[in-house]
Amino acid sequence: MNYSKIFHVLFVIILFVFGLSNCSDDNGPIKIGVLLPLTGSQANFGEMEKNSYEMVKEKINSEGGINGRQLLFVYEDDTGKPDIGRTGAEKLINIDKVPLITGGYSSSVTFAACAVAQQYRTPFLVNTGSVDKITQPSEFNLTENDGDKFYIYRLNPPVSEYTSGLESLLSEVVKPASVFILHENTSFGSEGAESFKNICEKNNVKILDVKSYSAGAIDFKPLLQNAKNTKPDIVYMISYVMDAALLMKQSREIGFMPKLFVGAGAGYTMPAFKENAGIASEMVLSVTLWHQTLPIEGALEYYNNYIKKYGGEGPDYHGAEAYAAAQVVVDVLKRCDNDYTPEKIKSTLDKTDINTVFGRVKFSSYNGKLHQNKMSTYVVQWIDGQLKLVWPENLSNAVFSYPIDWNQVWK
Amino acid sequence: MRVNNLHVFLNFEIFILLTAVAAPFIFSFSPYFQGLLIFVMIWIVMGTSWNLLAGYTGLVSFGHAAYFGIGAYAAALPYFHWGISPWWGLLTGGVSALILGYLLGKIVFRLRGPYFALGTLALAEILRIVFGEEIWLTNGHSGILYMTTWVSKYPYYFVALSLAIGAIVSVKYVMRTKAGFFFLSIREDEVAAEALGINTRKYKNIATAISSFWAGMAGAFYMIYMGFIDPEVVFALHNISIITILVGILGGVGTIWGPAVGAVIMVLVQEVFRSSIFGLAPQWVAKFHALVFGLLVIFVILFMAGGVVGDWNLVTAKFRRTKHAEKS
Repeated sequence: MNYSKIFHVLFVIILFVFGLSNCSDDNGPIKIGVLLPLTGSQANFGEMEKNSYEMVKEKINSEGGINGRQLLFVYEDDTGKPDIGRTGAEKLINIDKVPLITGGYSSSVTFAACAVAQQYRTPFLVNTGSVDKITQPSEFNLTENDGDKFYIYRLNPPVSEYTSGLESLLSEVVKPASVFILHENTSFGSEGAESFKNICEKNNVKILDVKSYSAGAIDFKPLLQNAKNTKPDIVYMISYVMDAALLMKQSREIGFMPKLFVGAGAGYTMPAFKENAGIASEMVLSVTLWHQTLPIEGALEYYNNYIKKYGGEGPDYHGAEAYAAAQVVVDVLKRCDNDYTPEKIKSTLDKTDINTVFGRVKFSSYNGKLHQNKMSTYVVQWIDGQLKLVWPENLSNAVFSYPIDWNQVWK
Repeated sequence: MRVNNLHVFLNFEIFILLTAVAAPFIFSFSPYFQGLLIFVMIWIVMGTSWNLLAGYTGLVSFGHAAYFGIGAYAAALPYFHWGISPWWGLLTGGVSALILGYLLGKIVFRLRGPYFALGTLALAEILRIVFGEEIWLTNGHSGILYMTTWVSKYPYYFVALSLAIGAIVSVKYVMRTKAGFFFLSIREDEVAAEALGINTRKYKNIATAISSFWAGMAGAFYMIYMGFIDPEVVFALHNISIITILVGILGGVGTIWGPAVGAVIMVLVQEVFRSSIFGLAPQWVAKFHALVFGLLVIFVILFMAGGVVGDWNLVTAKFRRTKHAEKS
């Protein structure tokens, strides 16, 4: 066998295929980059969001595509790590030559990848990464007047606004005297804890302690025992899905029974939370950015179609965010007059004002942020294995249960 | 014969150097591939730094992320607090890590074997937690973002290449000196080395100083190049400390070129699979990126205990035998 010959043939094939892959085709599909965690500890979220992007793509392509061209989402797996996220964004821009990137799940990965998009002047439509600074131009050496130089757009609200819906529930109904805050040690966790602390201080709720933990830990009992000893009225937790499930299971195991467990969205609204926590998920309250029963056109249809296509439990707000981001992408591409360059897409994004399954999307500037979509947040509760919308009262589809007899619920 | 061997060896090194200098120009069509080359260089520095300690001196460190992280924060903190360019980190990063290495040595050199490894691991974890909690100093888990100086990869690549050359040359040089022989004697039998009058504490400190310096430089460069760090990224056990060890094992522990070969294989395998063979294969291929690298490491440990470079003669001998058998 002649290894040298094999090597040469392989080399030529690789060069040829690379040559082909870099050929641009004006009649070929319009490629849009999507950066998501498809493997690793955040893969649950990435998979749901990818499924939602695919639903929009299939729908649009079956209707004839965009101005006669098919839509293609090129996925990059950021694996939940900022450096890989940056490499992925570079690949999308330099190899796949996409004029727009969307996706962005974990805050720290999204933040790091946004810096790449900003440097390469390629618009990045963030659908989930929620840390406030993502849409703060000052973080990217720009000012609030530099909207034309700022390439980051965000569809979901920043983490500091996640609790706007919860705040009224706490001040009007629950009226807790004390709170214990538990958060994972990520930027999403620490900034979420900080904004909830501010709400508690504003409403004269005593903060007993704020404790962080390593995301992906397996033994939370010492932390929970510590919290139990302080006898809080409510426990506020900021966690991704597996940590969320473990925190609740272990709370049940040690008999930690505050008046209420409140999750900060993220893991607490995911179907995987209920699957992993089992009975311990019951009656847990959570912030949410969306619910299928909200009076938003297409929300319930998307929810039902998702179940029909992928089976299992329906999507939570993460799926809706991704679906809405894909709807924005389609809308923008349709309005681009066949000019699919980053600059044209950016200027079209600036003028975006559409109704999606996630609600109205319009990018505005406020509180030192640029290109930020502003929206309301809500409160849900796991009741009989279903995620029910319980607040605000006029939109709710279930009665909010409080206080909770955990002995009865967990038996 | 000896002269010929030396000649061939020098030619080999010059060839590697020329290839490394030409590499970013070969990949000039894509900053993405140039970016991968920069990662290779970072891992060469890390692998070479670890190799001096573990491969030559027998001090297996599971906490190299501590030096890497300190170097990265040495570049990032002056920028975060006073707006001083992270490029100064190339002066302060290595020195900060060196000081940490010295202080660390005072504690962990009381330990040997697996206890030493666990000690280094614990110290890296302590730093990760402290840097995450001391928000006033480090901005905690929100991390520190810096808009990098250039979009072009060329300047970064040549800085990274210089660091990689510096790390390799310094290790190669020191292993030819008396200190190098003392490192080997400590690795082979520390008690016997002491009995022969070698001040093992002193030489372990020297090995740690060189090793931590280069790991700190890699960390500082990482901050300069990536523009974003947080404690979970730079003090990471599996993403930094363990990968550094795997780079060393894969390439060959106790060999000059082993970590460089290990770094090339590691970056290539991970990225080829993570990107579904650069987008040419179906996207499900990406799910195997961690698995394939893991299998490769298992294969090397089972069948090539000396790593690719360490067991290179065995591999080539096997190929020659196969070729010979085919001919006959």
